[in-house]
Amino acid sequence: MRLRALVRKETLLLLRDPHALAVLFLMPTLFLVIMAGAMSSYLQDRPPPLQLVLEAPQHSESSRFFHAALQAQLPDSQLREDGPIQMARVSLPADFDQRLLDTPHQGPTLSFPAQFDRLSRQRLHAAVTIALAQTRLRAYLQDSGALEEGLTPAEQLELIQQRTESQIDERERLASGDLSAQANATQMSVPAWLIFGMFFVVLPMAGSFQREQQSGALLRFRCLGLGLGTLAASKMLPYLAINLVQFVVLLSIGVYGLPLVGLPALALNGSLPAYALLAASIALATSSLGLLLAALARSSEQALLLGGGINIILAAIGGIMVPKSVMPEAMRQLAEVSPMSWALDAFLSLLVGHGSLNEVAPGCARLLLFAAVAGISGLFLFHKRVQQTQWTTHY
Amino acid sequence: MLELSHLAYRYPGATQPALNGIDLQLQAGQCLGLLGSNGAGKTTLLSLLSGVLQPLDGQIVWHVERRLGLVPQQLAFYAGLKVKENLALFADLYGLRGAERRHCMERCIATTALQDKLERRAERLSGGEQRRLNFAIGLLQPAELYLFDEATVGVDAASRQLLLDAVQQLVAEGKAVIYTSHYLDEVEQVADRILLLHEGRVQLDIDKHQLLGEQPGLFLEWPEQAPDALPALLAELGLNAEHTPNGVRIATLDVEQLLAITRFIAAQPQTPSLLRFGRPSLEQLYLRLNGGRL
Repeated sequence: MRLRALVRKETLLLLRDPHALAVLFLMPTLFLVIMAGAMSSYLQDRPPPLQLVLEAPQHSESSRFFHAALQAQLPDSQLREDGPIQMARVSLPADFDQRLLDTPHQGPTLSFPAQFDRLSRQRLHAAVTIALAQTRLRAYLQDSGALEEGLTPAEQLELIQQRTESQIDERERLASGDLSAQANATQMSVPAWLIFGMFFVVLPMAGSFQREQQSGALLRFRCLGLGLGTLAASKMLPYLAINLVQFVVLLSIGVYGLPLVGLPALALNGSLPAYALLAASIALATSSLGLLLAALARSSEQALLLGGGINIILAAIGGIMVPKSVMPEAMRQLAEVSPMSWALDAFLSLLVGHGSLNEVAPGCARLLLFAAVAGISGLFLFHKRVQQTQWTTHY
Repeated sequence: MLELSHLAYRYPGATQPALNGIDLQLQAGQCLGLLGSNGAGKTTLLSLLSGVLQPLDGQIVWHVERRLGLVPQQLAFYAGLKVKENLALFADLYGLRGAERRHCMERCIATTALQDKLERRAERLSGGEQRRLNFAIGLLQPAELYLFDEATVGVDAASRQLLLDAVQQLVAEGKAVIYTSHYLDEVEQVADRILLLHEGRVQLDIDKHQLLGEQPGLFLEWPEQAPDALPALLAELGLNAEHTPNGVRIATLDVEQLLAITRFIAAQPQTPSLLRFGRPSLEQLYLRLNGGRL
């Protein structure tokens, strides 16, 4: 009866705290949508089309072949003969035809506007290299008389492609671990900011304990002889429940909300029990950390700084703010200390790796171990804080 | 009902004990006014009685079931909850159910006149109403002993009287009360026994009426010092007077003597800072007994 009353009290206070609700729901939703949008051109399944100018002074057969070969490498992109200075430019030399068989060979010049991103530069560079190799192979075959007479340019290109392309099988060997390199913007942003938002329960949790102690309510509890287990459970249970609600709501925003703003929908790959286990593990880790911070902080302000600071550091090093795939090796090693990183890896094992319970189990085990350590330390310090609650009189 | 014997407590790291050998018996239906300067040991005594601290020496013996009602100086409730939600929460925590719960809720709401505020969030109550809610939560618990610690700080006169009436009602119902306040007129109104602590010891434990005396008297004080001619006048009138630093207290006098003194005062260049006929107030006695200590 006492535990139920305390849980009800904590839930009512939380539901009536607009700041806490904003931190727990609005903030991660905004981050999720903004970051999914912001990263959509960088982390996406299909690269975006490029707008290019191909300058070919000779209008020769070889330069037309090069044009067709380059277009085949960049099927969605638009290759124009002329365009504004802001567009990337591929310029063939005036003696393009004559020098195709030279060794070493001077290829076309690529010029990029400043805003042309690095990934697109690399993509264009690779496409030009392949198209140029195919053009040179055609010139070589023609020069050696090995190119069949009477073929149309399209047939020549098909022949060259057959000669230069190999079948490469791709097999995913790992369904767990850091899959951020394979994740698209939605698969990266939704779990990352969902985890970030779930960890933010530590703020209202620690803050409510400080207010309880400062108001004297805790003094009443002490005089009533309320047990430590009842007090700690009354703090943790409502936030565990809130964490689970966050999990469902933010995933739903990923599935149903993101397409409304033109972003790819989140596909909930992997097994449902694995999602349940992951949600419970994260929730236990966050509420145990909340208990620890509640016991460590000495005021509401300290709880805010300590909780917010720890969360941002864990997120920064844990691959939440920047995908681990773009981090250097040393930073990736450092990420391994962040429980947010463990949760994110487990999440990506489901979303990207289509994993099952087996794939999320290692991450969940680490989260549960973290929950146990933080929870036991938190209980010990919480007990001390409750014992230190004194009858204070302010004159 | 409650017996404290040789009760002692020393805070960790302190050189002097906060309480040192307190002996006290408290009966049902008794209101003890707990007085003392800052650091005298009042808060420590309340902490020991409420179980927040454990005595290092001595013991607290309850001759009835240990049930304690508590009204601390802090507003010990939840600002974000409505008045009725706060009361329901503490009713649950006190283990109140069924008819007893209804009775206790109705009684504490009526006593603190919060009927019209039940749907309002505590944070939106006025200062006086918040005090009344704090009081109501303390009264809600069926208890044998109620502790009130500066329970009326910052409330308006009407709310204050309401709360003092509630304390007197508890005493009339046979509950024991320990009441500590820096408003000594409140203590004078509700307490029937005064316990004065000094440096962790009981300096005075006396029936209030005995302390204040049943005989009225005349109290005279001047801002700096009493007129030089005053002793001669008192001798001429045959009055026995107790001298205070700036004046006198005359225990008994008749109308003629009072008129003579009044004429003397009117003839003086400086008017008295205090002229009171009646019993001494607890505050005057406290200041005298406590020697002006802070």
